Amino acid sequence: MTALVPLVVILPLLGAAGALIAGRHTRLQRLVTVAALVAVLAVSVALLIEVDRQGALVMTVGGWEPPFGISLVVDRLSALMLIISAIVLLAVLVFSVGQGMADGDDETPVSIYHPTYMVLAAGVFNAFIAGDLFNLYVGFEILLVASYVLITLGGTGARIRAGVTYIIVSLVSSVLFLAAIALIYGALGTVNIAHISLRMQDLPSDIQLILHVMLLIAFGIKAAVFPLSFWLPDSYPTAPAPVTAVFAGLLTKVGVYAIIRTETILFADSDINEALMVVSLLTMVVGILGAVAQADIKRLLSFTLVSHIGYMIFGIAMGTVAGVGATIFYIVHHITVQTTLFLAAGLVERQGGSTSINRLGGLLRSAPVIAVLFFIPALNLGGIPPFSGFIGKLALFRAGAETPDVLIWVVIAGGTLTSLLTLYALARVWNMAFWRQESEVETYQSSLLDQLSEAPGPAQQQESRNSPALMTWSTAGMVAVTVSLTIFAGPLYGVSARAGENLGNPRTYTSLVFPNVVDESQIDVSEGSGQP
Amino acid sequence: MLISLAFFALAALLAPVLARVLGPRVFWLLALVPLGALAVSVSAAPRVFEGEIVRESLIWVQHLELALSFRLDTLSWVMTIVVLGVGALVLVYCERYFAPDEPGLGRFAGFFIAFSGTMYGLVVSDDIFLLFMFWEATTVFSYLLIAHYTDRKASRGAALQALLVTTGGGLTMFVGLIVLAAAAESTSLSEIVASPPEGGAVMTAVFLILVGAVSKSALVPFHFWLPAAMAAPTPVSAYLHAAAMVKAGIYLIAALTPGFANIPGWSESLVALGVVTMLVGGWRSLRQTDIKLLLAYGTVSQLGFLTVIAGFGSRTAALAALALLLAHALFKATLFLVVGLIDHSTGTRDLRRLSGLGRQRPVLAIVATLAVASMVGLPPTFGFVAKEAVFTALLEGDALGILALLGVVTGSVFTVAYSARFLWGAFARKEGVEDTEVHRDRWDALVSPALLAAGGIGLGLVASVADPVLAGYAVAFPAGGHEYHLALWHGLEPALGLSALTLLLGTALFWKRERVARLQAMVPATVNAADGYWKVLRFIDRTAARVTSTTQRGSLPFYLGVILLVLVATAGTSLVLNETWPTSWRLWDFPSQAAVGLIMVIAAVAAVRADKRFTAVVLVGVTGYGLATLFVLQGAPDLAFTQLLVETVTLVAFVLVLRRLPRRIGVAHGRPRHRAVRAALAVVVALTMSIVAVTALAARSTEPIYPEFAELARTLGHGVNVVNVALVDVRAWDTMGELSVIIVAANGVASLVFLDRRTDDLVRPRLTRGRRGLLRQRPITEPSRPIGRSRALAETGEKRLAWLLAGRTLAPENRSILLEITVRLVFHSIMVVSLFVLFSGHNAPGGGFAAGLVAGMALVARYLAGGRYELGAAVTIDAGRLLGSGLVLAVGSAAVPLLFGADALTSAFIEGELPLFGHVEFITSTIFDVGVYLIVIGLVLDVLRSLGGEVDRQQEEEDPRTPHERLEGRADA
Repeated sequence: MTALVPLVVILPLLGAAGALIAGRHTRLQRLVTVAALVAVLAVSVALLIEVDRQGALVMTVGGWEPPFGISLVVDRLSALMLIISAIVLLAVLVFSVGQGMADGDDETPVSIYHPTYMVLAAGVFNAFIAGDLFNLYVGFEILLVASYVLITLGGTGARIRAGVTYIIVSLVSSVLFLAAIALIYGALGTVNIAHISLRMQDLPSDIQLILHVMLLIAFGIKAAVFPLSFWLPDSYPTAPAPVTAVFAGLLTKVGVYAIIRTETILFADSDINEALMVVSLLTMVVGILGAVAQADIKRLLSFTLVSHIGYMIFGIAMGTVAGVGATIFYIVHHITVQTTLFLAAGLVERQGGSTSINRLGGLLRSAPVIAVLFFIPALNLGGIPPFSGFIGKLALFRAGAETPDVLIWVVIAGGTLTSLLTLYALARVWNMAFWRQESEVETYQSSLLDQLSEAPGPAQQQESRNSPALMTWSTAGMVAVTVSLTIFAGPLYGVSARAGENLGNPRTYTSLVFPNVVDESQIDVSEGSGQP
Repeated sequence: MLISLAFFALAALLAPVLARVLGPRVFWLLALVPLGALAVSVSAAPRVFEGEIVRESLIWVQHLELALSFRLDTLSWVMTIVVLGVGALVLVYCERYFAPDEPGLGRFAGFFIAFSGTMYGLVVSDDIFLLFMFWEATTVFSYLLIAHYTDRKASRGAALQALLVTTGGGLTMFVGLIVLAAAAESTSLSEIVASPPEGGAVMTAVFLILVGAVSKSALVPFHFWLPAAMAAPTPVSAYLHAAAMVKAGIYLIAALTPGFANIPGWSESLVALGVVTMLVGGWRSLRQTDIKLLLAYGTVSQLGFLTVIAGFGSRTAALAALALLLAHALFKATLFLVVGLIDHSTGTRDLRRLSGLGRQRPVLAIVATLAVASMVGLPPTFGFVAKEAVFTALLEGDALGILALLGVVTGSVFTVAYSARFLWGAFARKEGVEDTEVHRDRWDALVSPALLAAGGIGLGLVASVADPVLAGYAVAFPAGGHEYHLALWHGLEPALGLSALTLLLGTALFWKRERVARLQAMVPATVNAADGYWKVLRFIDRTAARVTSTTQRGSLPFYLGVILLVLVATAGTSLVLNETWPTSWRLWDFPSQAAVGLIMVIAAVAAVRADKRFTAVVLVGVTGYGLATLFVLQGAPDLAFTQLLVETVTLVAFVLVLRRLPRRIGVAHGRPRHRAVRAALAVVVALTMSIVAVTALAARSTEPIYPEFAELARTLGHGVNVVNVALVDVRAWDTMGELSVIIVAANGVASLVFLDRRTDDLVRPRLTRGRRGLLRQRPITEPSRPIGRSRALAETGEKRLAWLLAGRTLAPENRSILLEITVRLVFHSIMVVSLFVLFSGHNAPGGGFAAGLVAGMALVARYLAGGRYELGAAVTIDAGRLLGSGLVLAVGSAAVPLLFGADALTSAFIEGELPLFGHVEFITSTIFDVGVYLIVIGLVLDVLRSLGGEVDRQQEEEDPRTPHERLEGRADA
């Protein structure tokens, strides 16, 4: 079963290679890439089943024993992330194939899009299985460079502008990440995550704090944590709909994933939970206020994305097994629902020719299917029961209630407010875009819309186009996934909670990579103990 | 109960489909669902009456102790009867109410039955979080149902208002439930109430929960949403906003009171809220001219009444509360349905325009009168019985009871007055108003209201039968002095007197209605809660706009500044807290390092200050070459070699790009002050990073792992070049990742330059056998003509063979024959060298990366000498294919070992004697390195192709002049 571990990276890369070689043969490209992701999904399912049964799978690449070689580790957290990412990537790929077939690939030139998309997938998957801090960096680089290409796809003025913001901020974060790795290697002489964790115990706590902070800032930028989040709403919404959907769903979560690993394994002893708690509150509230101020649906959703990152940071900041478990569930929920909403927004854009609620109207009548596909995930994101968003919030708040603390209650209050404002923003979209009649749009006056700001740049009203069945179906598939997260919340939460338990003690993780090692000094680095 | 809920869900999903087929008759079918559930409740009745609690449970999320657990005790049993019975009757009524061509009928039917199911779930839930789920779900369905007429702005606004107000309350309640569950260590409502936890947290929790109940049941200050919600179709008003949903808050209060009535402030606040609501609702109701709104305010008033008694917390009060709840559901639903019929048959609900309806629709009037009789508390209705009980319960109480009594008596006077006003307004013949035109409904439209009204009377007649049933809830409270029972006749008790008094005063109030109206007009509506709602929304919108415009400035320098400030602040703080400082300082290994470092710093600073793009690029290059030098000084030739090549290729790429950009980097960004701030920030960041680096590096206490690498590389990697073994073997997984980065980078360049698709062919000079002569070279002295296309090639017929195939496609003034010859001579040698570097890399400086760059340099040379056609001639394979093949090799060598059961990327070492070659060693990681090699070449080719060739082409297209003319033009200028 260990052989399955590297496949999640190898398969998409082979898909990318296939797409490059297939070149002009569009259908072949589509076939290859979809097949690769289907295969990854199958592998991820197998991995999750296996890992949930026995705890974890570790592969030492090239047979080079840790800490020399690179360890690839799939524990429950990784397996969950893999599976949900594979689903999202696959759905979005099918969506974009549908869009491409309809539009003759104007927006997403296949010869660029498909290989790049597959590399992005490989980067995301790699980040989730990296057992080596430098390899994690490589995973980030893969997905970031791919995202640079995807965000500027088509090269319109707006996309280049947004791309510049995105690329430069991401580069800064990469530099900081690299610098942090260098510092950690400087202080500890290793980059293997388990090895770092073991050696970290011997480092003075003040030095730990310095390293900790450096690493968190790098990850905080990627995860879009306030106040490192301002770049996100200015860059994501301009990309083509499927690209935005996959970015919104996955990329920030890779950052959150890294933060979880940082807090639970690398710096398990270094405690900055109170600071994180405050940050989570600000992320939630400032983020959702941004969403309330937007007229453009895609921009609005970008702000809700930032805002709900706050919930995840909150769970991490609790520093408890229950908190981390709840966070993991929330991540799974949020990846799917945010992607789904962006896909639905893509459908709205085609149907209504715009994503601004100042210009949309009558969609309930003209596109009832899209209405349903928007409404269900919107409720879900707003935390309306019985959907997974509610279960996630319930889990987070209950985990918070375990440790009575004023700060936690303040954050819970903030989280509740955020939930209400999320619902407000989304219900307003529903009122305007779906319920309001198209004939009312021209002369519409309401104080609900007074304070809203449009997306920067010239307003573009495109013609209304029908959505190809494939786009609608893939969105419907994602909606079905979000709903099934609710139905199967029991087993899913079970895995999340067990994943959280895995992270409760960093020694659980280190013993995967270094079985039978309790103390760092037992790892022999003085004699070549490399290949068997 | 679970099965009933499943039926509701199924019905909700099927309703839209069925409605398409059946039209409004679908409601008959749907009415069977609540009826079925009602049958379940009725069949459970004997057990419930005996005091048994019927339970069902299905675990949902074990780790959260979230279960679909239901229970049926007296309170919820009564609620199910109300919810399901009224629900079924309203559904039957719907069949008459809606025209077959009603838009959105299927949607309405689905939402309505779904609401009915969630309401049922709400009252039978035992798990408090499950209860909350149904609670919120009823809110959502109410939102969807209120805006049934989606084309009306008022409907949509009212729906949003109801959603936000009740969800706001609901979420507050949610927090309360969390606290409560944590304190009680249980999520079961019956368990929590049976053994209520104590403490300050619990008190807070309970009041938070009350906020939810208050908002749901439209009590002051949240009452405003309910009248607005009257924008919904009448069945919705009758069911959701009279009988069922608004009772949820009352239900919750009633369910919690047995456990929490002793909490200080519980009864007091509920009595206060209830009385105020009752008075405000009654007062407002008297002012309405729309009979539906009149009833809506009446409902608000009655909900206040219910709150007073439900929260009062005594055995008699409990009995009274349940009776009143039941009575209210019966009469209020009836009245709304009656209003719906009036609206339908006359087209108006304005009591100033309705006249003479009583004569024309006597049956309707009788039904309405019966319901009103119950509402005002006339014997022998159930309303009378309930009101008697309320008065008695409050009379039994202490000072609070007396205050409450004062309130509810006044409120009841209002009730009598607005009830009379309703009857008069709807049915009386008014002076000066013509009789309203009525078109008849079918008689069966009256079935539901008539049944409901009859229920109100019937229950009153059998009040003593109902008593033991309802008493099942009341026994949760300690017994008072004497046991009170519901009955029509208690003798001449004070309560009866109070009833009579309210009727008297109420009638008087109605009698003097004109004076009352004048009085009401004089009292200004100082506080308007609905205005408050809008003010809050506007406040939120404004705050959001302000906060967002401050943070979201759309300015990259601002965002970067924030990031760096956070870095300085947090890393700075951690440095301030630091106590582990380096004990000794070693500034350098060799002084020359300092010199190189200084040069790099100067170059970097100068690059930032440079105002010409080319200068900046060169200066950045200097830092790169400086780094290479540092590598050399540290004894890392391999790294230095690679770094040099990278710098060179980068420089070439930059130069190619710079052709399309203005020479100068715009004027100085921002004002001098901003520049000063940025410079200061840069210095602070640099200092912080340096101190952090020094501190962290000095803290090393354990041996790093690298000293072992050389040994490992030799013995296990079979290579002397540690860097290469690390790249292609030990850390080949990283390399594989970075290869994909290279590929994507190449893709990205192509994407931005070609914009549409990357497979655009490289243009190649036609090289076919028959037209070989076309490739003859022109003398470079020949005056230029616009050549560069194959057509141009065909026009010339030169004799001499070209040094470079495409050299002659260039304009003569752009050609350098010397360069062409040199390139022709060295190209193949460089390629051979690159192969050598590739294969020797394992043991000597080199490897796939460096080798690829060397080969890339050869391509650069071809391009520079012969232009894009020459590039096409040099490489006849598509860059994408090259990249793809390289990736297949690299990834393949990761995948293949898996087939043999080894770890990914495991290398195999083969050695043996070959004829001619002698002893040959081969390690499979070399295949990986070949992949690297191909990918790097692919990258260089892609960059040249897009930034070079394609940009050339675009320039030619934009500028129709020949290169020669361009040159001339420039000379002229």
